[in-house]
Amino acid sequence: MMNKIHFEQLQETLYHETLENGLNVYVLPKNGFSKTYVTFTTKYGSVDRTFIPRGGSDFVTVPDGIAHFLEHKMFEKEEGDVFQEFSENAAAANAFTSFTRTSYLFSSTANLYKNTKTLLDFVQQPYFTEKTVEKEKGIIAQEITMYDDQADWRQYFGTIANLFKNHPVRIDIAGTVETIQDITAEHLYECYGTFYHPSNMVFFAVGNVDPDEMLEFVKKDQQAKTFEAPEPVERSFPEEPDQAAEPRSELFMDVTKPKLMIGTKCRNTDMSGKEMLIRELASDVTLDILFGRSSEFYTEAYNRGLIDESFSYEFNLENGFGFAAIGSDTDHPEELEKLILSVFDEARDRWSITGDQLERIRKKRIGLFMRALNSPEYIANQFTHYNFNDMNLFDVVPVLEQLTTAQLQEAFRDFYYEGGQTVMTIRPTEQGK
Amino acid sequence: MFDKTEIRSGVTVYTRPTDQFKTISLAIKFTAPLTEESAAVRTVLANVLEDSTAQHPSRTELRQALEELYGAVFYTDTGKRGDEHIVTVYAESVNDEFLRNSEGPVFERLLALVKESLFEPNFVDGQFSETIVEREKQSVADRIRSVYNDKTRYANKRMLELIRPGEPASQSANGTEQAVLAVTGESLKAAFEDMLANDRIDIYLLGDTDTEELAERTAGLFPFQDRSKERTEPGTTAAQTERSQPLHIREQQDMKQGKLNIAYSTPVTFQHPDYPKMQMMNGVLGGFAHSKLFVNVREKESLAYYCSSSYASQYGLLYVMSGIDAEQEEKTAGLIDEQIEAMRRGDISDLEMRQTLALLSNSIRSAFDSAKGQIEIFDQYKELDENFRADHLIGKWEQVTKEDVQQMASGLTKEITYLLSGREAMDDE
Repeated sequence: MMNKIHFEQLQETLYHETLENGLNVYVLPKNGFSKTYVTFTTKYGSVDRTFIPRGGSDFVTVPDGIAHFLEHKMFEKEEGDVFQEFSENAAAANAFTSFTRTSYLFSSTANLYKNTKTLLDFVQQPYFTEKTVEKEKGIIAQEITMYDDQADWRQYFGTIANLFKNHPVRIDIAGTVETIQDITAEHLYECYGTFYHPSNMVFFAVGNVDPDEMLEFVKKDQQAKTFEAPEPVERSFPEEPDQAAEPRSELFMDVTKPKLMIGTKCRNTDMSGKEMLIRELASDVTLDILFGRSSEFYTEAYNRGLIDESFSYEFNLENGFGFAAIGSDTDHPEELEKLILSVFDEARDRWSITGDQLERIRKKRIGLFMRALNSPEYIANQFTHYNFNDMNLFDVVPVLEQLTTAQLQEAFRDFYYEGGQTVMTIRPTEQGK
Repeated sequence: MFDKTEIRSGVTVYTRPTDQFKTISLAIKFTAPLTEESAAVRTVLANVLEDSTAQHPSRTELRQALEELYGAVFYTDTGKRGDEHIVTVYAESVNDEFLRNSEGPVFERLLALVKESLFEPNFVDGQFSETIVEREKQSVADRIRSVYNDKTRYANKRMLELIRPGEPASQSANGTEQAVLAVTGESLKAAFEDMLANDRIDIYLLGDTDTEELAERTAGLFPFQDRSKERTEPGTTAAQTERSQPLHIREQQDMKQGKLNIAYSTPVTFQHPDYPKMQMMNGVLGGFAHSKLFVNVREKESLAYYCSSSYASQYGLLYVMSGIDAEQEEKTAGLIDEQIEAMRRGDISDLEMRQTLALLSNSIRSAFDSAKGQIEIFDQYKELDENFRADHLIGKWEQVTKEDVQQMASGLTKEITYLLSGREAMDDE
């Protein structure tokens, strides 16, 4: 049965149906848009490395980088490269792999159903051979090498690796040039079989699309294909201590200015749904108040020349891991570190966030969300991300409207505590000589 | 797509009522000739203007005011087009109908802030505050230096400097570090007054509102005076350098990947009637995942993760960029040459033409699905076509034949092969 959910304040209507094979299909029409953005996403990312394969009974651990490798290989079929078919039908196609998701997508302004068919078919018809797997290793090795030269990337993932002792979030999403050498076609089939069942996936179409037609189209397509019965996926994750694995680390790279990043780790990540959404938004708002462009910290750090335009901060929460990261290029990494930690310590020891501060940032966040709804890409990707954690993207405004300072403090206490931080510094190569 | 009203000589307002977005957007574009000095001083100016105003005399106060306006966006940016330098003031807020807000129209209050930034700047004794000026000089200088840290961008910048030294094609819209540090309070104020009085000004308003009424109000709000239109007649610089043979330059840094870039010049620039043919040519060669470079360099030979081409139409340049194992330089460069040779021989399939037309059309239509996309693309094309619409350009691409594409490929002259790579890779040779 198709559900229709109207959001009055947002003036948006979401259509949803769970198909017989377990696939969740969502459609959000947007007036005035030329393009339709369609994503087909599996709840399978780089952290899912230890699991019971479909039909098996024991846990296996697969080589690092395999979810991303699989994503690359989905595009190659016996009859050639799927990009060719998308291009012929005027669709720009792409895919990405994150810690927890692999998403396949296209954006097109014509031939919507032909392209939808191509998307559904190529993701649901795996074709891997030893030869095509070997060939991909060179391409992915260059992708990894490209990221190896990007200081921002190294710092971000270095910070995460410092924070986590055991959790696989500490492993590079694409693996390393060495680990991908061990990947075989057999591995890919094993992972595919386990994680690409429709019941582990979400289909989202947004933009210039008729919801009834699209739901009907996907339903017919899925009915014509045969799938095994849905089975829950059994994943295994190691115990993770609250303490950061490494309190600090340093790296030398060919950059003009040192980079500092401070990471802090969430203690409680075993949550989902509304509770998780409140926690995520409360953490975002707290960081805005402490470190945003209107904060005392920002003014002081900018005026003292401790941060520049590269300054940024973010908060990430998934079931099983969560962290905040704050960083900037800086000529004075020691001073900046001190200042950031003093803001954190001050908030911990003398919590003083006021209702006025919350009110202002609440408005800012509501506006930010409304503006983001202009973007089909944001809607599809963010909705799917939330959906896999049983959260609803369209609850963001109501949750923001009801957020309390007590919730901010609770969120803060969960991501800032003794021993849960790390400092990652990248220094120009010449400083290491 | 935009309604045009010239409110003063050299000051034009473009409006577009649309309910596509949940926001109302404003862009004010100030255009002046591009030089190293003008780029530098105007970029520092752009930073200083978005820092504070007379009524919101600190960064914090201005940012808090924007947060109160439901996170309204207000920022400045600089760019270049041909031999022109553009300062853009950009503002955007959520349309009131989506806000449970009792404090009056948000966009109007945002407009007032934008007006303050331009007409009531944060002056101390008739000058910009020295502290702010010095800080923003540092900030812009940092931004210029930081290109070095992004090896892909750095390699492209170096390549352009080698083939077009001192010309607009290789100049940064931020100016040079030296020119930025040479900016003074006086030169900044002079540049500010010059910008307000003499620049060509294009104002864009877009959103679900009575844009006509808004345009009138905006015209009343911003007291720009008439100005001469002579200053910045659009032009491009396609200086063809006389070079007996292409340059081959290798440079090194501490890095792992090799960045192999190759640049070609073409007599076809943005204003040239063959411009749509060159766009098709670039698409067949390396604009997309069906293009010759992606298929042959990446998919068939596994040499690269990225290998693509871009057409810098303002400067009559086309460049190929790839990230490779530096030891594979010769092989990759040979393969890239082969793709261009194939196109010169007319080795272009109907499928490649169809795919390229389809994806070019898709990309321009999709770009119109954002407010900023509509403003930026229209602003670029309006000099070619006052009533520009995506369909006009698509119609031209549809006319392009394989022979046209072949001819465009034949008109390319290789100017440089540039490799930026790690020290170890070179030491091994």
